[in-house]
Amino acid sequence: MASVSFRNVYKYYKSEKEPSVKDFQLEIADGEFLVLVGPSGCGKTTTLRMLSGLEEVSKGDIYIGSRFINYVSPKDRDIAMVFQNYALYPNLSVYENMALGLKLRKVAKHEIELRVKRAARILEITNHLEKKPSQLSGGQKQRVALGRAIVREPAVFLMDEPLSNLDAKLRAQTRAELIKMHGTLKTTTVYVTHDQTEALTMGTRIVVMKDGLIQQVDKPAVVYSNPNNMFVAGFIGSPAMNFIKGAITESSDEFFFENKRMRMRIPESYYPYIRKLNPNNLRSIVLGLRPEHVISERAEVNNFSEWKVNALIEIKELMGADTFLYLKLGEEQVISRIVEASEEYMPEEKLEVALQMDKAHFFDETTGNSICR
Amino acid sequence: MGAIIYQFKKMSWSEIVLLISLMLMAAFLFLPILFIFNHAFKPFSELFNYPPTFIVRQPTFQNFNDLIMKTSAGAVPFTRYVFNSLIVVVCTVFAVIFTSLLAAYVLSKHKFYFKSLVMGVIMLSLMYAPETVGIPRYLIISWLDINNTYFGHILPFVASPVAVFLMKQFIDQIPNDLIEAAKIDGATELRIFVKLVLPLAFPAVATIAIITIQAVWGDTQASTLFMQDETMKTLPYYISTLASAGTGGNTIAGQGIAAAAGLLMFLPNLIIFLLFQKRMMETMVHSGVK
Ligand SMILES: Nc1ncnc2c1ncn2[C@@H]1O[C@H](COP(=O)(O)OP(=O)(O)OP(=O)(O)O)[C@@H](O)[C@H]1O
Ligand SMILES: [Mg+2]
Repeated sequence: MASVSFRNVYKYYKSEKEPSVKDFQLEIADGEFLVLVGPSGCGKTTTLRMLSGLEEVSKGDIYIGSRFINYVSPKDRDIAMVFQNYALYPNLSVYENMALGLKLRKVAKHEIELRVKRAARILEITNHLEKKPSQLSGGQKQRVALGRAIVREPAVFLMDEPLSNLDAKLRAQTRAELIKMHGTLKTTTVYVTHDQTEALTMGTRIVVMKDGLIQQVDKPAVVYSNPNNMFVAGFIGSPAMNFIKGAITESSDEFFFENKRMRMRIPESYYPYIRKLNPNNLRSIVLGLRPEHVISERAEVNNFSEWKVNALIEIKELMGADTFLYLKLGEEQVISRIVEASEEYMPEEKLEVALQMDKAHFFDETTGNSICR
Repeated sequence: MGAIIYQFKKMSWSEIVLLISLMLMAAFLFLPILFIFNHAFKPFSELFNYPPTFIVRQPTFQNFNDLIMKTSAGAVPFTRYVFNSLIVVVCTVFAVIFTSLLAAYVLSKHKFYFKSLVMGVIMLSLMYAPETVGIPRYLIISWLDINNTYFGHILPFVASPVAVFLMKQFIDQIPNDLIEAAKIDGATELRIFVKLVLPLAFPAVATIAIITIQAVWGDTQASTLFMQDETMKTLPYYISTLASAGTGGNTIAGQGIAAAAGLLMFLPNLIIFLLFQKRMMETMVHSGVK
């Protein structure tokens, strides 16, 4: 087991003008389950591959534990990697696939057998040890790939979208198994995904990346409730956070969020942040509000009578327990989430909704950064 | 029989039509093979029948007898040509597979300077027919002073752009992840090559073996151009002299011998094809390459 440390790491590919990873700075504690998340092409895989040694570091230093590993070859880094498309050796049996890494490290035969059998039991693939990978289902293949990593008992697990080739149900199930597995093994894990659900559910901490730059590193709950900027706010959470453009105005010592359509009093807890800002910046502000904070249930709307606004229902989407209403607030489209809807909502219907301003986020429109920091 | 009828019943009309036309085509393509086999066993009188016949009426081994007897009387025995051919084919096949595998693996999975230049040269050399490079080959071989050696037979075939290209295309399909997984597992380059790439590339190896054997087994260029010593020439060259008047053969009397020799030339091709075809299918099915 070990910690991992990235110090100002850059990656320049020859064919690309811009660096694919820029000034990557991160300390990963021992036993952490760190999730790298971000849209396609943001440099997650590149970062992971630099840690694995499959890709050279252009600039900066990487440490595993206290060891400087920039120039250490992949096999000597004490890591194990799980690939998106499993990468099982097709000509070897499941047992041999899992045993190979140990065999090449000259682990004693009985020890290999012990570890493979144990991993197979954890992953419930004991019955398939003699099969070839081509005779397994996708989920089984992925478990063999996990098993191959587990038996090595490495200092760090690296996983690059290991669940993305599985169907939705199997993905949820394997996700739970991975969490459980990390609970027992406590091995430092770096996990790459573009799926924000996986990031929120699995990570002890999340790193949100965009265009090779770290946007935010925090616990999942913090990233969700207190995003650094509009990108993180929009990327994490499903459906995405609502954004409404406007300005912050002051009148008689009170602050209001205001646009053509609405004028909402801002709760006092925000005042210190607002006072810190240059008044010029208050003219172009984006209000961010999660769908669950756009209240549409008539009974509850009245609890927030000062933040009411008229809306028009465009589309209604039933998602099991949740109902999503796509609302039109003048120019802006806003999504509202209702848990266990008790009333009927019809498209084209007029509706009074409440914006829960005490849960609002405010972003500077030009920089996209949160002002509540 | 019942099973066959049952199979037919399951098929739609278009499938039956397709099946029958494919069977007819196969039968048609089988005719030359039938002819080669029968022709070799025809007595002298039947060889020149008009209209020519496919099926032999009075089979005889006379032609094979003549083949062996005639040459034992000559300066070089028939078996010497066979021996030469076998040596050349076996060495060439191994050399071609060895070089093309190594070259293709590096071109496909490794990064190095001038890679695209090397690939370009290989593509360029794909365009030349063997005839056009006869003279340069001759110059190189005499410059290396390997006329009248087995090496002179083998060398021109070893530089096989077709083999490298085919092999590279095939190795390209082996996922990079697989090789990277092996690297992380601690495998050395040699081990990755021998234990991972080689088995996965086996169908390509088989294909290249077939192509090379057929080309080398039937080649007369090396014997004609580079070998002045009669004892170093190969079977196909010898056979080409049998039935042609210009090179001291006998156009009429040579026909029987040529027929027998033709069968001998054809047999290895047939055997190798049947052998490798089965292996190729097997490896394709079991390799599980995604
Ligand atoms: N081998 C390479 N050569 C040149 N550029 C590359 C190479 N690999 C990746 N890139 C570039 O680096 C950037 C980051 O790629 P990377 O694969 O790390 O993205 P990612 O975050 O893993 O995306 P995805 O979610 O699609 O897997 C991309 O712009 C990509 O074009
Ligand atoms: Mg990726």
